[in-house]
Amino acid sequence: MASVFNDFKEGHKEISGPRLAASLTPVAPPEYPDRLRSFYACSNGANLHLDLRYFLFQANGPKLPKQEQNAWIEIFSAYWKAAGEILKFDEGRGSWVGVFNAWNQVSSVLGRGYTNAGIEAWTIPCLYVVGKYVRTFAIKADAELSSQDSVAFNDRFQDDISFDSEKSAKLEEAARVINKLFTICLNDRTPNIEESRKWGVYNMISLTFKTYFKLNSIGLCKSLLRALNASSADLPPLAAFPKSHIVTFEYYVGVIRFLDEDYAEAEKHLTHAWKLCHRDAVKNKELILMYLVPCHIVTTHTLPSEELLAPFPRLERLFRPLCDCIRKGDLGNFDAAMSAGEDEFVKRRIYLPLERGRDIALRNLFRKVFVVGGFEEPKDDQPPMRRTRVPVAEFAAAVRIGTHANDRTRVDIDEVECLLSNLIYKGLMKGYIARERGMVVLSKGGTAFPGTGV
Amino acid sequence: MSNTTQDKPEPSQQPQQQNPPVLEEDDEFEDFPVEDWDQEEAEKNSGVANDNVHLWEESWDDDDAAEDFSKQLQEELKKVEASS
Repeated sequence: MASVFNDFKEGHKEISGPRLAASLTPVAPPEYPDRLRSFYACSNGANLHLDLRYFLFQANGPKLPKQEQNAWIEIFSAYWKAAGEILKFDEGRGSWVGVFNAWNQVSSVLGRGYTNAGIEAWTIPCLYVVGKYVRTFAIKADAELSSQDSVAFNDRFQDDISFDSEKSAKLEEAARVINKLFTICLNDRTPNIEESRKWGVYNMISLTFKTYFKLNSIGLCKSLLRALNASSADLPPLAAFPKSHIVTFEYYVGVIRFLDEDYAEAEKHLTHAWKLCHRDAVKNKELILMYLVPCHIVTTHTLPSEELLAPFPRLERLFRPLCDCIRKGDLGNFDAAMSAGEDEFVKRRIYLPLERGRDIALRNLFRKVFVVGGFEEPKDDQPPMRRTRVPVAEFAAAVRIGTHANDRTRVDIDEVECLLSNLIYKGLMKGYIARERGMVVLSKGGTAFPGTGV
Repeated sequence: MSNTTQDKPEPSQQPQQQNPPVLEEDDEFEDFPVEDWDQEEAEKNSGVANDNVHLWEESWDDDDAAEDFSKQLQEELKKVEASS
């Protein structure tokens, strides 16, 4: 791993955004633990600009226009101050708030470099790195503040609401900065798309989403998406972007739609994310499935296969008991599994769609009644027909099985009729109830339970 | 439904209780270690047989259990008829 100045120079020489961005990475790599310290030692601060000009641009440095040189010097002086705060923190004299404030400054100066000084678009990985750490440091600063708060204000009355919004004050500041960095990408008017910052759009919008998610501001995500859609005509097609950008973006859009209860749309985006996701990114694949599985249960009424969940023990534990109950039509244990997993489901915000699995469980229970009902007497040489007139009492008996009714529990026929008409209304079952005869008349020709083969 | 069972211990409940909450609060989408990769390294194309793996259950039929269910249904049917 090279020094900060080396990465800066080599990045420019190779025209490599990632290499250049490495120079602005505020974390020393394990193989070079003193990297930040030796960068900080380049100046004593008295002549910071002169020192930085020397190390960045003399001694074999890149030949850049004056204005751009000055912009980089501004960026690196903000960075130098931030490095000082980080080193102070490492020595036990600093604070995350100090680090965040200094890093926040790096972000704004960097942003100005793009908008005012014409820093070229190939350098945008710098935005990714700086944006990523402004978020990281903000989260740490907020945690630090709230732990101090709880000590300092332990005995004092505190207003819940103001406390809540103060709890993430730094992250909110970070969100504004990151949003600005996203806009710097989105609003680039360079005519040649190859040289446009628009290539940073999906990466930066995902970072903004991630920040809004943490702040629980899903509404802001949607306005951001609207802004993106409004200028989508000027953007390169999504497929032209690196896969890490596409997958992360599609994941967040999928979850945003999911939280809007637009499960069909959510499924489209999550499936896209799933297919393109790197096969070794287990954690991310797990998160995609966390939302894709409930979507699939709602939209197509199908369950994940064993092969799909096998590599993810946490998902297996979360979903398998429910899926087994749905498959078997075991309503009693379905309810038990829902309440056993309730806290977790609510926390992940997947409770509502999973709850809809109860209809599928009921459908499967009633489907079993239909299947064991067998076939009508064959007429002439017609193919065998399933018995399509089924007494309501048989469905009532099935409800007794599904709910593990004991000898004292009564299953009300009215209630069973209600369950039946609900399934018919929802299109999970096709037919009608002939009440006066106590019969359900189901649709003939393999459409009684649409999509299930009978 | 009011008449959910109380007479059977729920098998799904035990493992849930033994384990502390399985998901962390900070369970966030991670940065990928590389920016881009070939289609061959993507989930959909990884492994020769991968595309043939059934991701979603396609059949609801459970032939083994059909006979049991049929028997159970007859028994419960008697109770339904007796009570109406």
